[in-house]
Amino acid sequence: MARMKREEWYNIARDVDWTRSYVDEEAVFPEWLSGSGKEPREAWKSWDEPYKCAYSDYVATQREKEGSVYAVKAALQRSNIFESLDEGWKSTAKVHFGAVSLIEYLAVLAEQRMGRFGLSPAWRNMAVFGALDEIRHTQMDLYLAHEFIAKDPQFDWALKAYHTNEWGIIAARATFDGMMMNPNVVDIAVQLPFTFETGFTNLQFVALAADALDSGDISFANMISSTQTDEARHAQQGGPTLEILMQHDPKRAQWMIDKTFWISARLFSLLTGPGMDYYTPLEHRKQSYKEFMEEWIVAEFLRLIEDYGLEKPWYWKEFLAGLESWHHSLHLGVWFWRPSVWWKPQGGVSKAERAWLQEKYPHWEEQWGPIWDTLIQNINAGNMEGTLPETLPWLCNLCHLPIGTAASPHNPRYPVRSYPLTHNGYTYHFCSRPCRQIWWEDKDTLHQKTVIERLLTGEIQPPDEGGILAWMGLTPEVMGDDAYKYKWAEEYREPAAAAGAEGGLHA
Amino acid sequence: MPDPQPIPINAKFDDDFVTQLVVVLNTDTMRKVAIKVAHHVVGKRLPKRDADMVVRYQGRVLSADMTVAEAGIAPLQNVYVDWVEKGVTP
Repeated sequence: MARMKREEWYNIARDVDWTRSYVDEEAVFPEWLSGSGKEPREAWKSWDEPYKCAYSDYVATQREKEGSVYAVKAALQRSNIFESLDEGWKSTAKVHFGAVSLIEYLAVLAEQRMGRFGLSPAWRNMAVFGALDEIRHTQMDLYLAHEFIAKDPQFDWALKAYHTNEWGIIAARATFDGMMMNPNVVDIAVQLPFTFETGFTNLQFVALAADALDSGDISFANMISSTQTDEARHAQQGGPTLEILMQHDPKRAQWMIDKTFWISARLFSLLTGPGMDYYTPLEHRKQSYKEFMEEWIVAEFLRLIEDYGLEKPWYWKEFLAGLESWHHSLHLGVWFWRPSVWWKPQGGVSKAERAWLQEKYPHWEEQWGPIWDTLIQNINAGNMEGTLPETLPWLCNLCHLPIGTAASPHNPRYPVRSYPLTHNGYTYHFCSRPCRQIWWEDKDTLHQKTVIERLLTGEIQPPDEGGILAWMGLTPEVMGDDAYKYKWAEEYREPAAAAGAEGGLHA
Repeated sequence: MPDPQPIPINAKFDDDFVTQLVVVLNTDTMRKVAIKVAHHVVGKRLPKRDADMVVRYQGRVLSADMTVAEAGIAPLQNVYVDWVEKGVTP
């Protein structure tokens, strides 16, 4: 029997839906999950995905992709590539595996939720493919990282990270819970596929794939490139949802995009910025983090939102200014608080690297040079205690990143300071005005206690450095240390170098 | 006489790049508060200097002999410590 062409049956099969006779519509699609809001239910009949995909097509394509990823991995497994990889690059891979693997699994749940509570059968259909995609991504990440555990226990954090209270993971968990788990499915579609996957996964998967290839990690590059092909497809669930939202409630659409873009930008300045500008070996860097963001995120994002009739977010100037400083601040913080991370941050401030940083970021030396100089003096004087923390940075009640990291020293426009807010007699602290405003508007779906708050309310015992690291799940064999064992500081060594300048403290 | 009470503050030191948790006592003078905040920064991320420090709270420069209790510094509040050369008179 001749088979029908796909275009002859696709729309009918895709739009299968029915009117329920024995149960209320509200019981099947409760508003708190389906989130139609001001959009009439009829409006969802116009939902139309730009990328048509039938299950048979999906399976055939995915099978090929899977075969390719695992064939490359199998071929390289017998080589000694791991031993030849740069320690800085390995740290980039560890950050990715720890921060991303189980977020892929969280995305399975978000896709399944859209697949169940989306008000259009076409949308639900696409979301099922999305869920299958995310299962595949979780499996690939965990499988590739697992191979390296015997060689380096930090790779175990691919699975472990989100089962701990490590501070960066708390920041990521808060971000992604707010994006995928706490909202209704319309807000999920605008936040996850439209804003995050269309914008920021490019950063993690395209930029990192290039850096991985240049660093010789072919298997990793292959894996994330394969992931990105799925993202490019299922991210398209965002567009049709946004179109309907723009017809009936554009204010809601603008707010969801604005807040998601800001929170994602804050998080990626931790997860991706240091990898690109500090961990990737200098000779393998193609673009700076700022250049990549400007080309792939800023230009693309603006074009995308303008196509839908949306405005630039209200904080746009502040975000652009942040491309000059946020990730430098977070890199310095990660390096200084290095026992609190599951990778080995490399300083990345040898003389040649500093020259590159200064060329890419004209204020780098002025803003960050004096602090690194003091740390380098301590390293070369053998004063390692002077390079390690004895307290915690105060953390933002929205993004959970240290207060000051949305700013920089010697920066009159965005100085290092807290933006406090007293609510019901309690003072919350924020790294920036946008974080404070977003928290104020949406604290019901975004609020999680910071590490500082957990420490001060007695959740962390004993409340000292050892107790905090143990509470974060960091054991001695996993705690971060400088990737190159401080060798990069040797070129700054001068005869009779001493830490700091002369003098004492007086008040 | 009651025991001194710990007061956790959100403290920033001069040209440092983050604000930090520092626990002071309600009986500490501003001289002592400055030393406690500086301990986490000076000689670590900023070089030592032969200079005086001042404490600012809610826009006011506080006298070196004033205590935390006298200054009304409450838990979780911002406190700024600077070198005097920053243009602030103690």
